[in-house]
Amino acid sequence: MKSGLALQETIPWIEKYRPRALAQIIDQEAVVNSLKTIVSTRSVPHMLFTGPPGVGKTATAHAFASDLFGERYVEDGHFMEINASDERGIDVIREKVKGFARTIPIGGVGFKILLLDEADQLTAEAQHAFRRVMEQFSATCRFILAANYSNRIIEPIQSRCAVFRFRPIELEHISKAVERIARGEGLQIAGSAVEALYKVTEGDLRKCINLLQAASTYSRKIDEALVYQVAGVVWAGEVRRLLEQAIAGKMEEVRNSLRTILYVNGASERDLISQIYRDIFYLSIPEKNKLELLSLLGEVDFRISQGANPEIQLMMFLAHLYSASKPGK
Amino acid sequence: MSLPWTEKYRPRRVSEVVGNEEAKKQFEEWIRGWERGSPTHKAALLVGPPGTGKTSLVLAYANETGYDVVEVNASDERSGERLKSIVGESVRQSTLGGTRRRMILLDEVDGIAGREASGGVATISSLLKSTKIPIIMVANDPWSQRLAPLREGALMIKFNKLRQREIVNHLKKILSAEKISLDEGVLEEIARRSEGDMRSAINDAQLLVSSRVEPEALLEIVGQRDRQKSSFTVLGEIFSSTSAAMGRNAVQGADMEIEDIMLWVYDNIFNQIHTPSALAEVLKLLADADLNYSRVKKFQRWELLRYVAPVLGAAPGIVKNLYGEKGARFEFPTHIRFMQQTREQRQNIQSGLAKISVKCGLSRVKAATEVLPFIRAMIRKGETGIIKYFSLTEEEVAAIIGPERSVAPQARPAAKAAPAAQKRVTRAQRPRGARRSL
Repeated sequence: MKSGLALQETIPWIEKYRPRALAQIIDQEAVVNSLKTIVSTRSVPHMLFTGPPGVGKTATAHAFASDLFGERYVEDGHFMEINASDERGIDVIREKVKGFARTIPIGGVGFKILLLDEADQLTAEAQHAFRRVMEQFSATCRFILAANYSNRIIEPIQSRCAVFRFRPIELEHISKAVERIARGEGLQIAGSAVEALYKVTEGDLRKCINLLQAASTYSRKIDEALVYQVAGVVWAGEVRRLLEQAIAGKMEEVRNSLRTILYVNGASERDLISQIYRDIFYLSIPEKNKLELLSLLGEVDFRISQGANPEIQLMMFLAHLYSASKPGK
Repeated sequence: MSLPWTEKYRPRRVSEVVGNEEAKKQFEEWIRGWERGSPTHKAALLVGPPGTGKTSLVLAYANETGYDVVEVNASDERSGERLKSIVGESVRQSTLGGTRRRMILLDEVDGIAGREASGGVATISSLLKSTKIPIIMVANDPWSQRLAPLREGALMIKFNKLRQREIVNHLKKILSAEKISLDEGVLEEIARRSEGDMRSAINDAQLLVSSRVEPEALLEIVGQRDRQKSSFTVLGEIFSSTSAAMGRNAVQGADMEIEDIMLWVYDNIFNQIHTPSALAEVLKLLADADLNYSRVKKFQRWELLRYVAPVLGAAPGIVKNLYGEKGARFEFPTHIRFMQQTREQRQNIQSGLAKISVKCGLSRVKAATEVLPFIRAMIRKGETGIIKYFSLTEEEVAAIIGPERSVAPQARPAAKAAPAAQKRVTRAQRPRGARRSL
């Protein structure tokens, strides 16, 4: 780290290099082309953006609004973003929409745009209520819903929306983005490091950029080994340690680590389960036992989604990981 | 019968309250904090078995130092609303000035656990944050899970059962004031039977005197009260169950919510059972019981409850026995302690996440999983600019980086740039058993 910069803000690169216009969106050519057409005709439908995390759904919604309304699309009141998983219930969301969509700003295109991010976090009942909100305000407001899985969005909403599917970003596009940032930040980055970034982040550009920035605090010269090292520190750190403690049979330590992850760090059970899922493949335990563990994890995942106690269910899984790690079994 | 002695001889001053000296001291220190205008906690939660002087202490203090006590019974369904209006009214009155000081006594807070519980608890816990006058809550069972929101932010003051000697001496004082004498052996028997409950001892003594029957005969009639089985007794039964039927009976006979039994059992298996494969077996069964219980709650299928009790009640004992585990002392659920110990850290992480989620346009959960791990790694590595960008406070930074120290030696120059972060690491709360370094 350069001294003298200590008192300056460090802007997260995901913000610094956020696309400001549709033309800057990486990959997603099909989606971007249709959206550009929509901007030029100014006839905007309700839209549903689906796709895995970090492929640009939210960024695209913002870039679209910027192209449509100009750079001050938020300040001038043309665009608002609501995150479904932060709001307490559909009533709060309805009130927010009401407050936003009641008026039409001067100098716009005759309607506003509301982005409902993580829309698949709403229950089916809440989605039905939201569908009515969409109808009620469709004269003054267009809705963009973003979701990881389209099958978690009720059909009546899907049928009212133009559905845009975002694909995982491909390696060549990721490496273009990485190279651009490396130029901007003065980093030296090896080709194998880009592949490593791509591999560990599974085409999630947000994760990829975050990881790159974290790695840059270790060294301005980034190679493959550093990427894996930092990825280990960032994620696998906690979860991997949890699994190692379980394999070592240190169950009280496991319980404390589990509690820290679940209750202190503010992560969701779902993310923890996904991370465990990914790590199972790399554990050095008999392959057949991995299969049993994967099925058991599926059971735990489903149980928790049905309202069972996450700590008890996950602890049960981790205690079984101990037995499964012994080859005799 | 004339005025009940329990009323007639209710302590008028704090010094007259029998026993529990430590609790008395804690209570007085807390309320003096209010009087100085800087209470450590907005509310106090007095907990302990019946008849140990919780309410008496509050009333005695109020009487001695000139407070009006507004009593609200928490098990009343409308207590939340009532409390709201009292708190609001008190604020208005105190700004007008001239009225006597007031405190609110919220009795039987563990009684709200049933029925409309969650709404009531929510209203009360929000009032605990905003109140301008002292709120004192009284409960017998402090560990009830549904009371968790009330425990947070309240000073918990524990009352223990009174000693037999303390009860006998107090009975003697009352009797001498009444100019009556009773045989010492009878008093001791009354005290013994009360099991540390002063109220019941005084009632028994008064009944004995006023009914004028022979003490021996009366003691037979009165009989011993059915004491609620303590959580520890229930645990003892569960961990010594050797059959499904025993387990079912232990759970059904317990005066505890299923959630609470689950919590107590789950937390104690780690000090009762040490063989990892035994733990795996018992956790499998407990997880199944938990699954069935979640179905009961989610689908209101109460008839499924019968599949929960025997498994929850017998799995620990049977597995413990199978593996010849010796066990150790039972303990209060460590979960409760964990949540208390990490409270500050959790709040700071949440407020940090709120800032991150606004700046990055992500939900808090996403900020926690997608951004926070990187920020943590960067700060640990000495990247302080990111702290500035998100306007994180020292406390938030300390909570985010957690108890682990920055390890890499090449981060030293940066350490100078981040004195605040470095300093806080050592002071950061460390959850029990959390590891120290990578």
